[in-house]
Amino acid sequence: MRGQELLAVLLALLATVGTITVALWYDRSRDAGREVIELLAIQPKNGNWQPSEIRLERGRPVRLKIRNVETVSHGFALPDFGIGIAEIKPGEVHVVDFTPDRTGIFPFYCTVWCSNEHMAMAGRVIVTESVARASSNR
Amino acid sequence: MRDGLVLGLIPETWRFELTQFPWVRRLLKSRWMPLGLILFNVFLFTVILMAGFFGGLTSPGNYNFGIMIVWILWWVLLMTVLVPVLSRFWCTMCPLPFLGEWLQRLRLFGVRYERGRNLYFGLNKRWPKSLSNMWLMNILFLATTFASGFFTVRPAATFVLLAAIIALSVVLSLIYRARTFCLYVCPVSGFQGLYSNFALTEVRVKDPEICARHKTKGCVVGNERGYGCPWLLLPYAFRRNTYCGMCFECLKTCEYDNMAVNLRPPGVDLLVDEKRGLDEAYKALIMLGIAVVFFVTFQGPWGTLKDWANAATLSGYLAFIGLHASWNLIVLPAIFLLFTWVARRAARQAVPLKKVYVNFSYATVPLGLAAWIAFSLGIILPNGSYLLHVLSDPFAWGWDLFGTAHFPWTPVLTGIMPYLMILTLLVGLLFSIDIALKIARQTFVEPEAAVRDAFPILGFLGATTFGLMWLFVG
Repeated sequence: MRGQELLAVLLALLATVGTITVALWYDRSRDAGREVIELLAIQPKNGNWQPSEIRLERGRPVRLKIRNVETVSHGFALPDFGIGIAEIKPGEVHVVDFTPDRTGIFPFYCTVWCSNEHMAMAGRVIVTESVARASSNR
Repeated sequence: MRDGLVLGLIPETWRFELTQFPWVRRLLKSRWMPLGLILFNVFLFTVILMAGFFGGLTSPGNYNFGIMIVWILWWVLLMTVLVPVLSRFWCTMCPLPFLGEWLQRLRLFGVRYERGRNLYFGLNKRWPKSLSNMWLMNILFLATTFASGFFTVRPAATFVLLAAIIALSVVLSLIYRARTFCLYVCPVSGFQGLYSNFALTEVRVKDPEICARHKTKGCVVGNERGYGCPWLLLPYAFRRNTYCGMCFECLKTCEYDNMAVNLRPPGVDLLVDEKRGLDEAYKALIMLGIAVVFFVTFQGPWGTLKDWANAATLSGYLAFIGLHASWNLIVLPAIFLLFTWVARRAARQAVPLKKVYVNFSYATVPLGLAAWIAFSLGIILPNGSYLLHVLSDPFAWGWDLFGTAHFPWTPVLTGIMPYLMILTLLVGLLFSIDIALKIARQTFVEPEAAVRDAFPILGFLGATTFGLMWLFVG
């Protein structure tokens, strides 16, 4: 009985503390070695991309987690690095991994007609040799 | 439809004992049952709470694990399978009172038992007699539905609701004895209790004679093998599923293996004229009323109502609460009162109106359950495919555990959904008519005039069914 009681307590701890720990550890380990930037897709009238300006360091791997927090579909294109997502549905998160291999200022856009201000839904990636801060608004 | 037969086909007394199979009996007598199921759900609800917490206020509901599992999968399973088939089997494995019960018993697996009684931590007080009914649960459930527009679109709302229920269950478990929280407070307990009277499953005593001769009553006071009924019932005597949480402690504590889990015909407990009350009558009508409000608001073509429920404006939200509460607490009960008054007048018998009202309210249970099943079809068939997404990415962190994170939205059987809804409602109506006729024979002195006496109630049931059909598919 005592052994089974200990087993039950252990299982209860695994189900709670263990689940939280493993989830956080797994997420962190997935992103290891990369700079992670969460990019929120938002219509211009509600605030536009957040952040709308992303500062990166050339040669440093980056992971963009593009999250659509609205109830209309958006898209994403960063053409200078050959990156495009046809549709990000409401609530969806798309992960994009890339390593900026040149410096400069590169625009990114929404590629789905999301509102009358769709054409204004744009931001920019600024890649420099080294940056003190990866993003202007994280 | 003849007395003694459900729908004129199956004897009301028909039972098939599932515990006659040794492996079933062994399983239910093990202390890992239901603990194993509860622990699995503790894991599941930990993920749900995390998803609600990290999902915050902005993440749309269709891609949130907490919202999808609780309000799409769990709710639909509860209404379509768990309650109608397995009675209060959700209460068997519910993880929400887990922490409170652990603290109360100071054991997860074992049993604390000394000098003829179980030992509990906490004040172990009795719940006030005036609150030992469904009224509080009626109010709490109705109040919870005021926020239904948030629960399905804002993950944090689901987190707050579940966290509040867990916290309240812990506090009440330390003050009051046994499963007081589940019995008299939990918002989802009341309707499960009432609707489980329709269920195909029951826990009952096998031979009352054995219990009559048995003096120590381990099923009530507990013994070294298990706890006295945590739901504060007398397992050897109860006749309705309403307050049986199916924890199976009585199967463990019975020294004579005299408790059984049976299959039975649907709805037989609705005919048990024992401990019926206005609280349960209101529960039946509130559930029917909320099904209407939910359909009108969330599946109907009236976008303004949905905006009101989602609190797009404060005045709209207050209007939603006002209409919702008035419809469920005043209008629908008043309409039903009118029909029962006509039935009593038609019967020309000196039966108190309250008794007529309460008794016939149980006839609305099958129809109410059918309305919820139909509503559930409208949830799961169009939206079920989102479940594949949230399984792969439960916290919306960009995971893809099973390769289904970007599975496209795929409605299933929506072409025949209206017909399934109609069929469900008609089956519910059939059972309601059967119950109403039998209740008429119980309630009025002239059983042979039951059809005449029940006619106004049949009118109410028919009108409600056609109203629901018009709403669902009209």
